[in-house]
Amino acid sequence: MRRGYLHLVRFPVQRKVVESPELAGRPFVLVEEARGQRRVAFASTSALRAGARPGLTLTAACALEPALGNFPYRPEAETAALAALGEALLGLSPGFQLSAPEGLWFDASAAHLVGGEEALGSRVLEVCAEQGYRGHVAVASESFTARALARHGARRVEVVAEGQSGRALSPLSLSALESREAEAFSALGLSTLGQVAALPPAAVTARGGAAGARIQARCRGADDTPFVPAVLEEVLEERVVLDGPVESFEPLQFALKTLLDRLGARLSGRGWAAVKLTFLLKLDPSGCLELPLTLARPTARAKLLLDLARHRLSELRVEHPVVEVAARVDEHGEDSGQQLSLGEVPEGDAALEVVLSRLVTTLGDESLFSSALEAAFRPEAAHLPRRFQPPEARRGLGMDLGRPVESALGRDPVAWERPPRLLAQPACLEAELSSSGGMQAAWLNGRRHGVTMMEGPERLDGEWWSEAAFSRDYYRVFFEGLGPAWVFRDARDGRYYLQGLFD
Amino acid sequence: MSAAVDQQAASEEPMTSAPGSVVEQLRERIRRLQAAPRQYLAVLRTGVAAVDALLPAGGFPLGQAVELCGEAASGRTSLALRAVAAAHREQRLCAWVDGPKEIYPPAAAALGVDLERLLVVRPPLPEQRVWAAVQLARSGAFACVVLDLTRGVGAAGRPTRLSLPETRKLADAAGRGGGLLLLTTPDAPADGMTRLRLEARGVEGWSVELVRSRQGGTGSRVVRPWSELYPELGLDGGGHLLDVAAGAADATADFQRAQRSALRNGAGVQGQARPVRVPAMSRAEGAREARRC
Repeated sequence: MRRGYLHLVRFPVQRKVVESPELAGRPFVLVEEARGQRRVAFASTSALRAGARPGLTLTAACALEPALGNFPYRPEAETAALAALGEALLGLSPGFQLSAPEGLWFDASAAHLVGGEEALGSRVLEVCAEQGYRGHVAVASESFTARALARHGARRVEVVAEGQSGRALSPLSLSALESREAEAFSALGLSTLGQVAALPPAAVTARGGAAGARIQARCRGADDTPFVPAVLEEVLEERVVLDGPVESFEPLQFALKTLLDRLGARLSGRGWAAVKLTFLLKLDPSGCLELPLTLARPTARAKLLLDLARHRLSELRVEHPVVEVAARVDEHGEDSGQQLSLGEVPEGDAALEVVLSRLVTTLGDESLFSSALEAAFRPEAAHLPRRFQPPEARRGLGMDLGRPVESALGRDPVAWERPPRLLAQPACLEAELSSSGGMQAAWLNGRRHGVTMMEGPERLDGEWWSEAAFSRDYYRVFFEGLGPAWVFRDARDGRYYLQGLFD
Repeated sequence: MSAAVDQQAASEEPMTSAPGSVVEQLRERIRRLQAAPRQYLAVLRTGVAAVDALLPAGGFPLGQAVELCGEAASGRTSLALRAVAAAHREQRLCAWVDGPKEIYPPAAAALGVDLERLLVVRPPLPEQRVWAAVQLARSGAFACVVLDLTRGVGAAGRPTRLSLPETRKLADAAGRGGGLLLLTTPDAPADGMTRLRLEARGVEGWSVELVRSRQGGTGSRVVRPWSELYPELGLDGGGHLLDVAAGAADATADFQRAQRSALRNGAGVQGQARPVRVPAMSRAEGAREARRC
């Protein structure tokens, strides 16, 4: 099986810089607690130059570089971030295996779909670069070969052909073994993996046992370590712990960008698009604020999601400072992409989502909807509100130029008889009836409206099985001073009601 | 149009024979798509020829705010819905800021409105209507935004009158967004934008007058029969005033007849039926006809 290894040099440091861009170029270390001491786990390039190596105590590191910044190292968060990066690669690779904290293996068996293994390596680095990470990629048939070449090789993208692993590994130094057995080989005066591979296998086994034999086999390009793909999480959620409690929106924006970049990449990797998101703000000292965001059109674009988050959160007033921000995808759909014509940009959808978000924030979620027709006799029950999710306009090769789109009902002449304005509540009319029972005039809002013409009736009745049974005779009436209207006579009380206007 | 038909015909041609010919066909289709002129939507036609002819641009111009001013049942909503339907035919989105909460979707669908592409906004507060319309129009995501400023039948208080700054904001939003902003207002018009005054002129019809326009044509007026807006309304022919008392004894709920009518609010059960008069009413008509004779 062909597999690749993505090595991200000092990944936790890179991640810290992505989250806090102001740290770029500054000396800082990530510190972990070990046996009651705070020791350096990872150091930035400037800190390394100053001599702050991993394993030093924080006190010693600060003595070397007085301006040294320090932040806690959270292995779980780093692993989660690495897994998120692996998910972002799912669009290029069918699976990945974590090698925390600085790398991961990915399945390179589908490399032919992107133009070969070299191109796959480049594409993987592009995905990393989109999220702000720099790395090296090596593709080989064995896990060890790929990992060793990615970590210790000179090229950014290295592809080792089947059966050439031993040859590719031979110039690497013994440090590529990254195990204690390397010291034994070093004591023998060896310096490269090629020299280890050239030793007689029987002698190596006799001296080093099974471990020595395994290491020598790896140096020769034989490694049977299986590829175990990571199991994906059911719920897509990204979380950023802020360095300190924040009270304004400005610092929150950086965290949101990081968060949504990762979330967008994970969605894209899975081929999903977010339909409904929830932002969670953890407050200091206690409390949590949940802010739902529903999209009219599913999307995985991080930029659009960030715009919406800005609109949703920028005018938010919270009682306590925020210490942690998270985003969770509550509902997703398939990301079918968007077919654009040549020269078009997907700005329309962004504008739509932004204005909908703004309106929802101000007016409330229930104030915006589209309607769906219902098969019901009762006129006021003939439609129901539903979430506004307009269909995509068909463009490009799929569209039919010049062919008008007909509505679902088309031009059914029956439906012409319904008024475009329906009163929220039918208004009772004080009707003047003739001796034969016909309506001659009606009083509405203190004004008398004579009946000029009357057409009907059309009887609508039903729901006899419920308390809300109704039986109405509908008329289309022309009132003087009002215009054509839709009036019904309720069989229950015999009174006339105005229900709609043919406006 | 003929190019479009050719294109459609080309798209329906089976792609058989050698793979090379398939590639050639695809190339030809791409070439035609690229060569076809872009269809920019400039106006939204109402479909009522007389009204379209009245407007200087031949329809409601995009990028402008137009006011439809008139009494409660004078045809404003129908014209606005027709403009929305015209935008929907081009697969564009529209929004309706429904102040009085009176828009009736089944009637809109019957006029050709694609309900999936129509966003209905019902602001909780009256003063939020204009703000919502400005946001929608300015976004550029909607080809047509309708702002319904009417009060609704029976509502108390004075009708909403837009201030000059509000009017300017609306016109500016329409210009920036490039869509049409339609205002349906009662007898308290907004200032500073193209205005059409609609009026119900008895059973004989309704009138439209172009009251204000920068492109000219001001003062022209047409009177059209109701059948142009509502072909099935049935008032143009004088209507049929029934003797309700004759059928009053029979006017109780009759579910058997309701089933025979097989009608669900005009849509029909499974969309196949149209309303039929129940037998009791048919008898009433018969009695009326007998009296006439």
